[in-house]
Amino acid sequence: MATIASGALVNLEELVPTSQHFKHGISLRVTGKLQDYDVETAVAVIVDRNASLKVDTQLLNINLRIGSTFQFIGELLLEPDKKAILKARVGRNMDGMDLNLYRQSLQLLRDFQAGR
Amino acid sequence: MDALQLVNTHVKLLAFDFLSVQSIPQEPTIFSRKGRRLSRAETVGIVVSRDLKANRFMKFDIDDGTGCIPCILWLNHESSRYFSRRCPSNVRLIAQMAADFASQVQLGVIARVRGKMSSYRGNLQITVSDVVIERDPNSQILHWLDCLRLARNCYDKVLVDPST
Repeated sequence: MATIASGALVNLEELVPTSQHFKHGISLRVTGKLQDYDVETAVAVIVDRNASLKVDTQLLNINLRIGSTFQFIGELLLEPDKKAILKARVGRNMDGMDLNLYRQSLQLLRDFQAGR
Repeated sequence: MDALQLVNTHVKLLAFDFLSVQSIPQEPTIFSRKGRRLSRAETVGIVVSRDLKANRFMKFDIDDGTGCIPCILWLNHESSRYFSRRCPSNVRLIAQMAADFASQVQLGVIARVRGKMSSYRGNLQITVSDVVIERDPNSQILHWLDCLRLARNCYDKVLVDPST
């Protein structure tokens, strides 16, 4: 079994073209509330604060419910117009997760890694 | 916790930390992190791959957001010579428990995995002894914070030889 890439933890609002994570093919883990889902294309839209991201959920077999919080791991694909879509390979419902605690802990985690 | 002894303790390490642990020549079951000897580890993360070879083993990867830890769960207890000298009813129980773990480990679940650190073809992995599927979505966050606290307050402590 080939080594699988870890999905780097990012907040949606950090996914801007100048970000180190805004690269075609990069593996990411994103978290957000499901705002929209197109059954025909299996494309979902998640939002977190003022940012949103399209997620291709074709490979997943999960129940996507509008308004629930989801976490997806997959590869970021940049379309010709520089719009990003995450091709998810793993996804799960995260209802009940404390998003403020998540953001604060993520910052602590990054500081810890940077200090190694 | 005795700061000197970490061997046989399931140390909670983030994946990037786990993957930087060094092997020790002539001691295949012991590994070294910042001069401390380790043999067991615990991780919590999302199962991102799963490769089952029925009645032999299951390989899977746990992604904790800082890296992926390869895990191997042996499923060959009833055919392995290693277990042939042990009580058959105990071996059956161990085999049944391993089979239950294998059925619970599915893509996308949050799993807490404990086991022995081992090396296969030069790559570190966990040889699984316990799996718990976490229902609380905050469990990953709490694991990160546990790992940070333990690294700073325990695992990173410099050892001072009491005889010097």
